[in-house]
Order: sequence, then C-alpha cells, then structure tokens
Amino acid sequence: MKQHTETPYWITLAHLPKWGAEKINRLVVKIVHDNQMSLEAFFQAENEWKDKFALSDADILDLQNAKSELPNNAFLAEDLLSQGFEIVPINSPEYSKTLKANLKLKAPTLLYVKGNKQIMQENSIAIVGSRDADKISLQFTDNIAKKASQEYKVVVSGFAKGVDKQALDSAIKYKGQSIIVLPQGIMTFGSGIKKYYKEITNGDVLVVSTFHPKAVWNAGLAMARNPIIYALASEIFVAQSAESGGTWAGVIDGLKKGRTILVRKPNEGEKNANLILIEKGAKAIDFEGNIIKNTEAVESTQKLSETSKENGIEEVISLLEKQTLTPKQILEKVQLDMSGKELAKKLKSLPNIQSIKKSNRIHYFVKQKSPTLFTSQK
Amino acid sequence: MTRQQAEQKLKSIFGFSQFHDNQWTVIDKILQGQRVLLIEKTGFGKSLCYQFPATQFEGVTIIFSPLIALMRDQVQKMQELGIAANFISSQHSEEENNQTIEDALNGKLKLLYIHPARMENVKWLETVRDTNFKIAMVVVDEAHCISTWGHDFIPSYRKIINLVNLLPLNFPVLATTATATKRVEDDIKAQIGKNITAVRGNLLRANLNLFVINVQSEDEKMIWLAQNLEKIQGTGVVYTGTRVNTEIYAKWFEYLKINAVHYNSGIDTETKKEIEQGLMHNEYKCVVSTNALGMGIDKPDIRFVIHTQIPVSPIHYYQEIGRAGRDSKPSYIVLFYNPNYDQTLPLSFIEGGRPEIKKYQRVIDAIKSERLGLHGVIKASNLKQTEIKVILADLIAQGIVIEVLDGRSKKYEYRFNAPDLDTQSFEDLRKAKLKDFDEILNYLASQTCRMKFLCDFLGDNLPNTCGVCDNCRKRNVQVAVTQGWTDKLADFRETYFPILEVENKTTNLINGVAASYYGISNVGQALHRSKYENGGDFPDWLLRLTLKAFYRHFGKEKFDVVLYVPPTESGNLVKNFAEKIAKSLSVNISHALKKNRVTQPQRIFQTKLLKTDNLKDAFIIEKPNEIAGKSVLLIDDIYDSGATIKELGKYLSKLGAVKVAPLVIAKTINADLRSDEDKQAINKKQVQPNEVSVVITKIEAATKQQPAEADEQIKVQNALKEWRRLKAEELNLPAYAIFHNRTLLNIAQKMPQTVYDLLDIKGLGKVLIKKYGEDILEIIKQNKQ
Repeated sequence: MKQHTETPYWITLAHLPKWGAEKINRLVVKIVHDNQMSLEAFFQAENEWKDKFALSDADILDLQNAKSELPNNAFLAEDLLSQGFEIVPINSPEYSKTLKANLKLKAPTLLYVKGNKQIMQENSIAIVGSRDADKISLQFTDNIAKKASQEYKVVVSGFAKGVDKQALDSAIKYKGQSIIVLPQGIMTFGSGIKKYYKEITNGDVLVVSTFHPKAVWNAGLAMARNPIIYALASEIFVAQSAESGGTWAGVIDGLKKGRTILVRKPNEGEKNANLILIEKGAKAIDFEGNIIKNTEAVESTQKLSETSKENGIEEVISLLEKQTLTPKQILEKVQLDMSGKELAKKLKSLPNIQSIKKSNRIHYFVKQKSPTLFTSQK
Repeated sequence: MTRQQAEQKLKSIFGFSQFHDNQWTVIDKILQGQRVLLIEKTGFGKSLCYQFPATQFEGVTIIFSPLIALMRDQVQKMQELGIAANFISSQHSEEENNQTIEDALNGKLKLLYIHPARMENVKWLETVRDTNFKIAMVVVDEAHCISTWGHDFIPSYRKIINLVNLLPLNFPVLATTATATKRVEDDIKAQIGKNITAVRGNLLRANLNLFVINVQSEDEKMIWLAQNLEKIQGTGVVYTGTRVNTEIYAKWFEYLKINAVHYNSGIDTETKKEIEQGLMHNEYKCVVSTNALGMGIDKPDIRFVIHTQIPVSPIHYYQEIGRAGRDSKPSYIVLFYNPNYDQTLPLSFIEGGRPEIKKYQRVIDAIKSERLGLHGVIKASNLKQTEIKVILADLIAQGIVIEVLDGRSKKYEYRFNAPDLDTQSFEDLRKAKLKDFDEILNYLASQTCRMKFLCDFLGDNLPNTCGVCDNCRKRNVQVAVTQGWTDKLADFRETYFPILEVENKTTNLINGVAASYYGISNVGQALHRSKYENGGDFPDWLLRLTLKAFYRHFGKEKFDVVLYVPPTESGNLVKNFAEKIAKSLSVNISHALKKNRVTQPQRIFQTKLLKTDNLKDAFIIEKPNEIAGKSVLLIDDIYDSGATIKELGKYLSKLGAVKVAPLVIAKTINADLRSDEDKQAINKKQVQPNEVSVVITKIEAATKQQPAEADEQIKVQNALKEWRRLKAEELNLPAYAIFHNRTLLNIAQKMPQTVYDLLDIKGLGKVLIKKYGEDILEIIKQNKQ
C-alpha cells in the first residue's frame, strides 16, 4: 500500500524541527496537490526543491538533514506498523474532517492512530474539565457522555484524570464510541492500550496522537494536545474549569477562534471558574446539557471580583505580548490586587507565558498566541 | 568508482587482486544505491558483494542473517582483516549485545550482523531509529527465507520485507541466496520491489558426487553406512528425518566404534556449540543431525553429506548438500531411498504442515477476548506450542493478529476490522509443495545427470552434465546385506535403550531409562493390550526387557526403595509391574505414594504447560519421613512429556530423597518430538511399511481414546483402507495418491458426519471431498457402531 510505504517520509516531514504545522502543511499542499507528487518522489527530487517548491537555503538544509534520517525512520515505521499502529496523513480521506475544518492549515500533518478510524468521521463532542473535578462535574460528564452515546455521537477526551477519564469510561459504559487524544507518543501508550484492548478491538475506541510516536508524556505535550481535543469535536462541553491550566487555556483559545463552547452552569458555592468562562462568551448549560438562555447566574459579587482580577491578568497578558517585563514593572503599569511574588506565581501557572533571566531578574513574555501542536520530541 | 579503482582498494583491504565479473556487477550497482538480488552458489563469494561496499560507505551496513555460526565466522574474518564488524545474537549476553549496538551507534562498526528475530530487541529498536545512527546499507542474507514459496520460510523475515519496503529509494539493499527457483526469485523481487535487479550465476557444484541408493528397509541403510562410512575420507554429516533417528543412528555408529555424535534442535545450546566446534575441528567422523544443523556451518571441508531420509523438495536437497565441499574438493553426496516407505515422512510434513482450520479459529477467539502472550494462548486454546506458533505466524501474516511488545514480553492482539482467514493460500502452498515433492521423486528415479536435474529445477538450465554422479558414471550402488551384519544390527537393537533426560539443578532427579520407544517395536502393542484390551498384567518379556534396560543404564547402582506412579485409570498394572521389578532387584517396594487429589488423564492435555498444571502438587506420600536420605527407583509404564516424573522428582527431593531415578517400559516418540522438525514423525521410519498404520492407530488409540472408541476407529479405518485400495486399483494409482495414511487416520479419528465436517479434516481439500466425500461418509455410516 502506497500509504504504508510512505510512512517514513510522513514521519520525517511531520516532525521537522522548528517548522510548525502550518509551514509543513503548506509544503505538503505543494507536493501532493500542486505538483501531484508522492512524498517519496519529492525526497528524490532534491534538485527541484529550490525552483519548483521555492524553498529557502535554510529550509533545504533542514530537509536534507531530515532526508538523512529516512533509513532510521524506516526502522521506526516498521516497528510502528507491525505493532498495529497506523498513520493518517492530512491528505488522507480518513483524516478527521472536523479537525481539518477547525484547524485548517494548523491541523496536525500526521495522526498516529490505533483502532477504528471510521470513528473520526462521526459526529463528535468533547467533554473537558479539571483533573481534580468535583463529584457534580463528574456526574455531569457521565450524563453528557450518556446522552452523546444514545445519540450515536463520539466522545472525545484527553485521557487525563478527572473529567477526561470519566468521559471515556462513561462512553464505554453506555456502549458509545470514544476518541482518546494522547498527551504523548502513541508507542508509549502500552498500558492504556492494554486497559482498553477490548474496546479498541471491538471498534469502540480510537487512540489518536499527534506527537512523535516515541515521545513520552510531559506537561508541554499535554497542553499542546488540548487544542486537538477541541478541534476533533463539533461540540465542546466543559464540566469544570479552574482559572488557569489546560482546560482554561483551551476554552479561551477556543473562544478566540470563535468556537461554541458549552460550560456547565455551576451551583451556588462551587469554587471554579465556570461562570467566568460563561461571562467570557461560553454558553451556559444545565446538568442535562440544555442551553440556558440568560446567564442570570453571572451576578455574584465574589465572581465579579474574580472577574476583575482575571481582567487584570488579561491586561497583563496583552502587555506581555508586546514586551518582556519583570513582575515589578508589570505592577507599575497595571493595577492589580496582588504582590509581585503572587503575580510571578500566577504568571508561571499560565501556559503561554515564558520567562527569561535578564540582568539577574526574571522577565516574563508571551510565548506565542496558540499552544504548539507539534513538538519534535523523540 | 571505476572497477580499477575498486580493485585497488580490494587489494589493499581484502588482499584479493580482482572481482569476479558478477561480483563487480553487483558491487557497482550497490555503490550507486541500487537494490540487487544475487543468486549465486555457495563458495562464489557473495559476502564480498556487501563487505567491500560496507568498507566504502559512511555508516554501518546492517546484515540480516539467520545463521549464527556464519555470522560468527564472518565477523572473525572481518576482524582479522582489520575491518570493524560484530554481530548480535541470542548466543551473546544482553550486555554483550548492548555493547555491540552501542558501538554501532557510536560509529565504531562498519558491519553489523543481526539475526532477524533480534529485530525485537528493545535496545536495538531504540538505537536503530536514533537519527544519530548512520545506516549505510541493508543486506538480507539467505533471502529465499523471505518467500513463503521457498523451502525455508522464516516468519521473522516478514519484518525484514516490511522494513526493506519502507527504506527510501536510492538506499542500497542487497539480498543474497544460493538457492532460489525462478518462482522464488520472482517472489523475492515482488516483495522487495522498488526496481530490484536480479543477478543470477550458475549453480553447478562440479565437485559434488551425487549418488542415490535404493534400499528395501531401514536396516539396509544402517548396514551400508556401517560398511562404508569409514571408507569415505574426511568428516561429514548424516541427515535423518527425525530427532529420534539422530540418536539411534549415532548410537549405532557408537556401537560400531565410529566416532559420531547426534545433534538436533532439542539439544541445549551449550552442547550444540560444542558439537559445532567439534565438527569444525574434525573431532568426529560424522555428526548425525536433523536439518537443524548446517544453517550456517561454514566448514569448507565437509567431505560427505548423507541423507537417510528423502527431503521434501529438490531445493531443500540442494541447500542441504550445498554444505559439502565448499573448498571445491571432491565430496560425496548420498541419498538413501526406500520406495516402499520413505514417502511417508515428507508427505506427512507437507500434509501436516498446517493445523486444522478450526484450531485457527480457537486461537483467534482466544486472542479476540483477551490480549495474550504465548503461554496465555496455549492455556486458552489447549493446543500444542508448535501448532500455535504456526497458527500465529499465519495470522500475523494475514493481518488478523498483531504481535506487540509489552515491556520485554510479546503479546498478541486481534486487529480491529481484521480480514477473514484466507485458507486458499494454504491450499495453494500445499499443492505447490506436493508438486515439488513429485520433483524429488523424479530426481530419485532419474537416469540422467543428477546435478543437471537439480540445477535445471532451480532455473539454471545447465548446458553440460556433471560427469561425476552415479548416473553419469553409470554406477548403480547397492547394499550387500549379510547375515553377519543382520545379526550385528539385531544385537544393537536389543541393547539400545532410550534415555529419559530429566536431570535438573533444582531436584535430585537423575536421568533414567526406558525399555523401548513406544512405536518402534511390539512394546507399544503389548502395553496397549494390557491397558485397554483387558490383556492382564504386562507380560514377563516386558519385565525382562525393562530389567535389561535397568542394568544397561544403572549397572550395579543400588537403590533403597522402589516407588511407582499411582495410576489415574489403569488399575494395578503399574503396581504389579513395580512389585516384580522390586523383587527381581531385591529392593524394597513402597506403596505409600498416592494421589492427593483427582487428576485428569495426562493424554487429554496437548501441551507440556497444561500437563504440568494438571499434576502440580497432586502427589502425597504416607510416612514422608521414610523417604529422607533414600535413593528411589521410580517406576511407570509410559513416559510422555516427563511432567509426571518431574513433578514426583520435585516432591520426593523436597522430602529429602537423595536420588530419584525413573525406569519406564516405553518412552513415547512424542516425548522426543517437541520441534517443528519432528512434528509429524509419529510415522516412524523404523517401522516396516505394513506396520505403519497399525502402529499409528495403536499409539493414537492408546494415548487419546477409550477402548470402545478405539475399536470403532480401527473398524472405520480398516474399511477406509480397503475402499482406498479398491479405488486406487480402479484408477490405476498408488494408494497414497487417493489420500495419505495420515488423512485416513484423521478421518477415522474425527468420524465426520457431513460434508462440512469433512472440510475440517487435515489433508482433505475441496477437490478430494468432491471426488470421494460421499464414499467416505457412507463408509463411516456403515461402520460406526
């Protein structure tokens, strides 16, 4: 099969260091669409790279280096395929149309999968939330997963503790179908495959990873995995979000991209940031998943103060998008009800903020607007 | 690089002044990053075709080879030339293998040899995909192992095919073989693909003197060897068809004071290594072996290769005799053929090569319900390990089952959306093998040059004859059987007793002895009569024979007490027999050994694993203190897997027995048949032709069925045999051409009731069922009680 024999080429291309998905996808379009070439033919046609593909010298050097890794990736591909994993490149009809529609050129170039690929073409919902979610959030998750399963919708989740795990287990309990989006390389997921063996072989679970097959879990990959969960689903349900962390960042990112995000309206006294998200534009839903027209609940004073604090942080972020500052410098520009130390702690907890040591002081800046989808971890 | 430039380098690195033309053709293509399949005879210098480019490339050349001994020899040669080379194999420690892999990663090696099965080594997998590991070229040695149409298909080669297909274009790949028919060549080319060029040389081995000796019995083979083996100069190999025969022939040579040793896959690695080394250093006149020996014995001066059993195809034969005379000096190649009997074993290999279809389904069902390791599959399916290995290899090949690594252990997974089992490919392969078998029969009957026959079969179209085979020389070798030799052979048979190898480090068991093999004499029949036909106690001649075995093996060794294995079903037969043994040896008998719980008859379990489980902690002894410090002679009637003896040995050792020695009446042939090479060898060659089916029936009946069922089976079997005889006469065909004895036995065992049941009978294809199905069902109906 052509796709199989091209696996090493796809692996090589998809993990080109420092290229990013969009740049790689643009090249893929040039190769397979504009020039109707296979990747194999492209890698053979080195003398055409400059003219036909308008590649810079630096890009050509990157590709030459990558080309020298093809034999190694052939060994990797053999191991990958023989263990029953498959690749789904972005130009494949088996690639999730929802994912492509949501992320467009930023969609991952290559999906590594195991299980029933057809699941990717079904209607899907994502249920997301905290790792340490409350009982009510878990019950809500169970409820939404049940409803989805009854409506033959696929439940997408991220295989983290808490809401993710509940979403998966509930979908299985209600005989539904699930996509597990991994925060790691697919070949490092042996224990999960063992655990969900029956569901995978029965075609009820598809395991998906966008990372290098041997990449081990790390927090960066977990963050980068979140946008994929959102993008694989037509509807996004939020069971419970804190004011920072993966769920928060993912929802904010989703809202920026204009996605409809359905957030469970919290009960009185719940300590979470669901209401803040609703205020930021997410749609409130009840325990059954029905949309509540008026977010009358967004009124409590405590919440308002939280909101103003969050607005302040938003202001800090937009400031840090333009410049690199220490917490002290920030507090001089934005009025916030917190100390420099508290602000530093807060900034460290935010996914997009990076720090750098300059003149013996820690400076902060915004790394990039959306989380990185592709990491060339090996 | 021009040829002249290359030859200058050749001279300085390897010391040769020039390449053969075909060598240069290949090397030139390899240096240009092409893919080549090289088919050349043994001794041509195929390895230089990759060794030379390996020295010119940047990075490591990886050579996949199934031949450990060959890898070892080549690595040594390379190292002597100052070329950095090493190999990874199961014969090295993990640390040694890891160090070799590390050296390759660090660019310290030019050539790295690896056994295809080592492809699953975790460290290897991690290293080879490390992008710092520079791979220059991939070589597939013994490339015919890629092809299922080949004679030596190795399942782990599938990974190599997959790998080669994934390697980029313009990456040099060399596949080499000394034995490939046109069909196998085409298959290899199709599988490796990507513009591969085949370079084929001529396969004539002019120094091999080929002979076929027609005989009428196994005795004649043994007598000819006794008369002639010492007359052939140098050392060589005698190939037998089964493991048991390696032992019997070696013992026969030992009896004749000929320095011989037996070798088969049942022998431990250390001993195998010693024997291989001994062969290399001419310590034996001959090694008697199954085809387990030879893959990779790179001894230039093997002066003779003698087959006591015909192979299944000319290509197998060419491969096996190819091990002789690599130094191009005259060597002698003898093939014995007993036309009355010798087709049984190879045909049973062909017919029995694959388990029944319903067993495939059993394995699929087991793996579908749970992700299992090999032991898990064995337990869940109650099938023999050898069968399961064949089934798993097929299921993996067909994409139904996936083999995955779970840490360091292998697990089998069912693939979602797996295709249905394709049985047509099995049938096609079976037919192809039968066709090849016909060709070996043609070789045996051939009146023309035998070397030309083999080369033509391989697609070589030899223009000349060899001039040295029996047909070219018009020399018909015959066996001169004299009374003296017949008596000598009879004496050997009466004094040869099979050893029960049970010694291990954790118990005080010592190796014991059996009075006979179950199936090569009338011992099995006598046991069966007593056990299942109300024939009374085991006859006294069995007692005498067993005592003879005792004295031969144990000499004057003293025992304190005789114990016997408590029966599951057969009443007091063993007890009475043990009493007689004890009385004859003047040793006390104890009746204290009992079963602690009800066990199942061992025969219902197909695997050693389940047999062991059945007996675990099943025995108890009254007054255990009496065993402490004693040496025990342990009596049983039949020794099969050895699980009973081993369990008792463990138990008695725990109670303080200082020595536990087993003595049994018969060792089943199956006890020695734990490998692929022997899986169908229940059809022993030692049995005369007219005895074969009777013995099979007796063995199967004794080990598998109750007496009434056995009677019914024999009745059906005899009726089928008579029908087959008449049918064969009517069609003017030999009886086996209707169907084989083994198939006949399968039918009688399974008693199919419908056409669908017939489909499950091994050896009955759709064509045969269409032709004879109705007749078969009618015979069963009429003869079933």
